[in-house]
Amino acid sequence: MKFFSSLGIAVKALLSHKTRTFLASLGVLIGIGSVIVMVAIGKGSQKEVMDVIAGMGENLITVNAGEMKRRGGRLRLTGNVTTLKIRDANRILEEIGEVERAAPFEEKRMTAKFGNNSAETTLAGSTADFSVIRGYSLQSGEYFSERDAKTANRVAIIGMTAVKNLFGEEDPLGQVVKVHFIPFKIIGVFEPKGVDTNGLDQDDLLLIPISTYMRRIVNQTHITRIFVQASSRKNIAKASEKIRELLRETHKLTDDRNDDFTLISQLDLEEMKLETTELFTKLIVGVAAISLLVGGIGILAVMLISVKERTREIGIRRAVGATRRDIICQFLYESLIIGFLGGGLGIVLGVGLTLGLTHWGHWTLILDPNSIWIASWACAGLGVLFGVFPAIKASKLDPMEALTIE
Amino acid sequence: MNLIEMNSICKSYRNIGFETRVLKDVTLHIEEGDYISIMGPSGAGKSTLMAIMGCLSQPSSGEYLLDGEEVGQLNDRKLSRVRNEKIGFVFQAFHLLPGVTALENVILPLVYAKRPPGNIKERARELLAKVGMEHRLHHTPGQLSGGEQQRVTIARSLINDPRIILADEPTGNLDSKNGIETMKTFDNLVKEGKTIVLITHDLEVAQHAGRIVSIRDGQIASDSDHEERGSIHSL
Repeated sequence: MKFFSSLGIAVKALLSHKTRTFLASLGVLIGIGSVIVMVAIGKGSQKEVMDVIAGMGENLITVNAGEMKRRGGRLRLTGNVTTLKIRDANRILEEIGEVERAAPFEEKRMTAKFGNNSAETTLAGSTADFSVIRGYSLQSGEYFSERDAKTANRVAIIGMTAVKNLFGEEDPLGQVVKVHFIPFKIIGVFEPKGVDTNGLDQDDLLLIPISTYMRRIVNQTHITRIFVQASSRKNIAKASEKIRELLRETHKLTDDRNDDFTLISQLDLEEMKLETTELFTKLIVGVAAISLLVGGIGILAVMLISVKERTREIGIRRAVGATRRDIICQFLYESLIIGFLGGGLGIVLGVGLTLGLTHWGHWTLILDPNSIWIASWACAGLGVLFGVFPAIKASKLDPMEALTIE
Repeated sequence: MNLIEMNSICKSYRNIGFETRVLKDVTLHIEEGDYISIMGPSGAGKSTLMAIMGCLSQPSSGEYLLDGEEVGQLNDRKLSRVRNEKIGFVFQAFHLLPGVTALENVILPLVYAKRPPGNIKERARELLAKVGMEHRLHHTPGQLSGGEQQRVTIARSLINDPRIILADEPTGNLDSKNGIETMKTFDNLVKEGKTIVLITHDLEVAQHAGRIVSIRDGQIASDSDHEERGSIHSL
């Protein structure tokens, strides 16, 4: 009975000042709305990054020659290490049970020519497994045959960016491009794949057999990279450990020497990228918290004005029997309602914006149910937190003084 | 037994270091069913006395027994309950809630009542009819004249069936016709057994009461009751 009557009084008071009520809840509205959208953006970008990492290859472990260090946010190889060989890749595949595939890899930026067109592209040497490990699929044509690899044939599979640069609209299949005066016959075209985590175009590529690359392009025996596919996600760590042991053994590294190679698994990449996105999330949550605080101060200001304006009303209510508690409840309910009103509208706004941006905009936003849940508690908290002070202030007024105030 | 028993009540306000003594050692006893006027020039302490009597304000010192209960000992909840159940206020400035209908204004004390009676609305309607306001139930104070507002205030003071009615200058803001009407209402209430305390500076109004107490400079200057008794004793 008491609860409903206090609530009724609060609702009536708010209804009689509709504009003020709305303005007071506006701060909370914007705060809650932005929290929900921001969190959705954060979650969305996190998912995008994860998708890109997954797109680099399923259960991928990359073995890089030499030590790798992080510079300017990207991983770079340091030093010139010549110990990583093609046979390392073969041994990894043959001797480690948790490894599904392994492909040696070597690449170089070179100029490719077709007719009068020439364009810089990445000339890469590997095996047919490379495309499986890294998730490339053929749009047309075929992969290298075993014979191509054995005889170091001059055949190539081309990526979509290189196709556009060299051939324009023409069909590249069966054509011959020249790299370093060596002619390569195009036997396959990759499906476009987009950019990797470092923002590099994965379609600007001309893939040739590793044997061809080693013999005809660079004339060396060491390689810079081996792409390894673990048999399952949970085997990634185990496979990495075994690869390390194997390589240390084959490279005859004694215990006092560091690895002359660097292993980076899909899990490592995810962890690194998550760090970045988590920092981003913390940042936006911080900004949102500040906007919520501003919203709360809005409630505080309006409630203080309201108490001041209604001093006489408080006096009248006290005179006819309202206790301090009744007065506190009345004003607290008012600020709670303002909080919930703003919060409710804010949730509608935030969810609406999120869904709208996902539907009509080209954004990846993921609605987090937790953020809605937390937002609801936040607006209740704001209502109480910033309503308590004015409410107590109202209740402390001496009834007689409140009645006689002008 | 005295319904209201004030013994050596003092009240002082502290204002920027200065202490203003509004009431100085006031002793006043009122019996149940009394009709009493408290008179005095403005600033004499009438309203402060009424505020203490109505538990709107606490005395600085002295003892106030209301219905045998020491008011100074009561906490806010109990004090509010005393105001709610035992006292009905009629103010010079009416003090109705703005923007709220006459009916709802009359019901207001019952919102805070511990055990509100059943048919609240019916009761409020009856009281408004009693003061001749049955045709203005759903008007807000802004739509009512001063006399009408005062009648709503009287109806409100009666809703929880209090034993004491405290009226502070009830005719102060009214024309003479409405003033007479209001005083008639009080006269009738006494007949119903209510204890009425009128605060006024108008002798004509004060004379409706059977007992007139004058206050000057925060002290009781004269009490017609004592004089009568005094004269009886002197006989």
